[in-house]
Amino acid sequence: MTEAPAPSSHFRRRLPLLAGLVLLFGSLSQTHAQADLPPLRWGGDAAGGAPFIYGPSTNRVGFEVELIAFLAKQIGRHPVFVQADWDTLPDTLQRGNIDIAMNGMEFVPEREQEFASTLPYFIYTLRLIVRTNDDSVKGWEDLKRQPGKPRLRVGVLRGSVAERYMRTKFGDDVEVIPTREVDETFQLVEGGERLDVTVQDSPAAAYYVEGGKLPQLKVVGEPVAPGYYIILTRKSDTELREALNGAIREAVRSGEIERIYRKYKLWSKEQEQLRLLVEKPWPPAPEDVPASVTAKLSLKSLRTALLRATGVTISLACLAMPLAILLGIGIAVGRLYGPWWVRTPLAVYVEILRGTPLLLQMYVLFFLVPMAARAIGWQPLISLVTLPAFAVGVLGLAFNYSAYESEIYRAGLQAIPRGQMEAALSLGMSRSKAIWHIILPQAVRLVVPPVTNDFIALFKDTSICSVILITDLTGLYYQNKYDREIALQLALVVGLLYLAMSYPLSLLARRLESQPLKVEG
Amino acid sequence: MIEVCELSKHHGHLHVLRGINLTVRQGEVAAVIGPSGGGKSTLLRCINGLEKFQAGSVRVGELSLKAGGTKSEQLRALRQRIGMVFQQFHLFPHLTVLENVLSGPLWAQGRTRAEAEPEALTLLERVGMRDKANVRPEQLSGGQQQRVAIARALAVHPEAILFDEPTSALDPRMAGEVLGVMSDLAKAGQTMIVVTHAMSFARRVAHTVHVMHEGTVAESGPPEQIFGAARTEVTRQFLHEAMRH
Repeated sequence: MTEAPAPSSHFRRRLPLLAGLVLLFGSLSQTHAQADLPPLRWGGDAAGGAPFIYGPSTNRVGFEVELIAFLAKQIGRHPVFVQADWDTLPDTLQRGNIDIAMNGMEFVPEREQEFASTLPYFIYTLRLIVRTNDDSVKGWEDLKRQPGKPRLRVGVLRGSVAERYMRTKFGDDVEVIPTREVDETFQLVEGGERLDVTVQDSPAAAYYVEGGKLPQLKVVGEPVAPGYYIILTRKSDTELREALNGAIREAVRSGEIERIYRKYKLWSKEQEQLRLLVEKPWPPAPEDVPASVTAKLSLKSLRTALLRATGVTISLACLAMPLAILLGIGIAVGRLYGPWWVRTPLAVYVEILRGTPLLLQMYVLFFLVPMAARAIGWQPLISLVTLPAFAVGVLGLAFNYSAYESEIYRAGLQAIPRGQMEAALSLGMSRSKAIWHIILPQAVRLVVPPVTNDFIALFKDTSICSVILITDLTGLYYQNKYDREIALQLALVVGLLYLAMSYPLSLLARRLESQPLKVEG
Repeated sequence: MIEVCELSKHHGHLHVLRGINLTVRQGEVAAVIGPSGGGKSTLLRCINGLEKFQAGSVRVGELSLKAGGTKSEQLRALRQRIGMVFQQFHLFPHLTVLENVLSGPLWAQGRTRAEAEPEALTLLERVGMRDKANVRPEQLSGGQQQRVAIARALAVHPEAILFDEPTSALDPRMAGEVLGVMSDLAKAGQTMIVVTHAMSFARRVAHTVHVMHEGTVAESGPPEQIFGAARTEVTRQFLHEAMRH
């Protein structure tokens, strides 16, 4: 009889599981019902963060998430979120991977030639944000260059209206530093080592700063350069656009939009204008558009910038590679000839650096290491690890490539016949002298071709440095490709410049490979 | 003086050397002959510490190697007193002939180039390679490379030189050049242990001949005894085989 209770307890344990399954199927069938509606693939960048689109990828929230849910329902579609980098959203739309782009897309009159925007769903302004304890910047006029002082470093989202506004209005006064993400930009201003101020669209300023999420930052000065957030559609999708316009009109008229914006503390009296705007034809006549802030770009005007960016790319590669080689040789020698307590950590170092993406390593070096140092709070350490972006770029590349170089040199060292070491030892040389004078010089010569090949690879990998505020060739391209008239030309020029630098190197590598160094054996 | 005492070495169950006893006096030329696989090269490599051994000892003057390893300082001091010439020469391909000869003085003994270079050139003169001082080893014939290797071994002023089948990789004419240089060294009183298959050299130049067979010294004696009146069957058998080739 001792077994009697077992079945019931077995059942009881099963019960929640069953309930879970029922729930799961329930929700599946619900999704299924939704899926009967044609999907509306909407592109946005969740990394752009609050209050637009944020939260875990399984359960995104944000005022745009709620708005699109309402709009899609109105037009009988069901929204499917597609993640894309914010500044690539127009291209993604053009490629056809998404049906609409909706993520703080600013209305830019020039863009109407290629795309068509819906009615505006939000009226934004640009806000100036500084550190709470920074009293030197009280408003926009304080951004003017002060004689004898370094230019202020202003972080702006790459490709945003804020970037263009700053370049046009304050281009000579401040250093405009394009960043990729909002929260990362705030973090850099808080840190203070890399950015002094940032200019952001009002929703981000309202949510993060005025909403008290980042007490170390404050909003100063008047709101400027008001503009509209619109949904971007392909020009040919007239039907979809008309449907969305109807839905936006309904959202404004019914007060749904106000309800959503109030929920996210975004409702301001500026938004009242939406009521008028949605009843008028769109896009507005040019005279009704707030003064355009777009500067006209040409390849010619970018010539100096291209030269400088080429210089940055070359310097990154030419400083990182020798460093990578030196580190690599040290690691290879340590791993082959050192005691276990040298070999083991070096093996771990190599596997970690080879086994994780360079992009991630750059982020760690640039953002996380200084963040960790600030958490520890020891000032000398903080200053030590918060290096200038360029230095972080060189080091990041050098560390990453040192792992690969060390493997090449390890193979090179092992390829030297044992007799060479024995001959050196039999003369009475110490092991280290033998390695230094006899083995290493031969190994170094032996691996010149593969190392040259790696140098070409590193040359191209310098482009990753554009994610840590370095304006190399790739960075320059990303910063200017918003101007769709020159984007293609610029891509071509940048590509050709890379090729012009790496092709001679590959010729060299091929020549070196065809003339292998003779080693004994 | 080199004294090898009860030297034993084995790889797992394979006994390569089984209690070798061998003494080489100052100025003596000792030839070590015997069938392949008898442990001749291993013996040489044990004498200058390139191989470890499990029992016995090697003594060179006041320095000694013990079973189970020796301190690297001691090892280096001993190696500078015993040079080594390899079958495959092992010249350093990235260095010129002169730099090869200088490598020991500069990097093992810490002498200056200015001081060591005249002597290195004299040594090259002695082995007939002075005119090739500035070329790389890859441009030399095998015989020339081996003569440079001998000069390189001499450059650290060793008391004795170990030759590990110095002519086995050479054709007869080149072997002749190298054996000529070695004969000159012997006449000049250089202590040498020569593992060789060149029987005429052993007969003509060596003071003592040791016959090694299966990890032991089967017979030792002056050339007249070994080649004229061998006392063991192993020697007779080996010489019979060797003469046939």
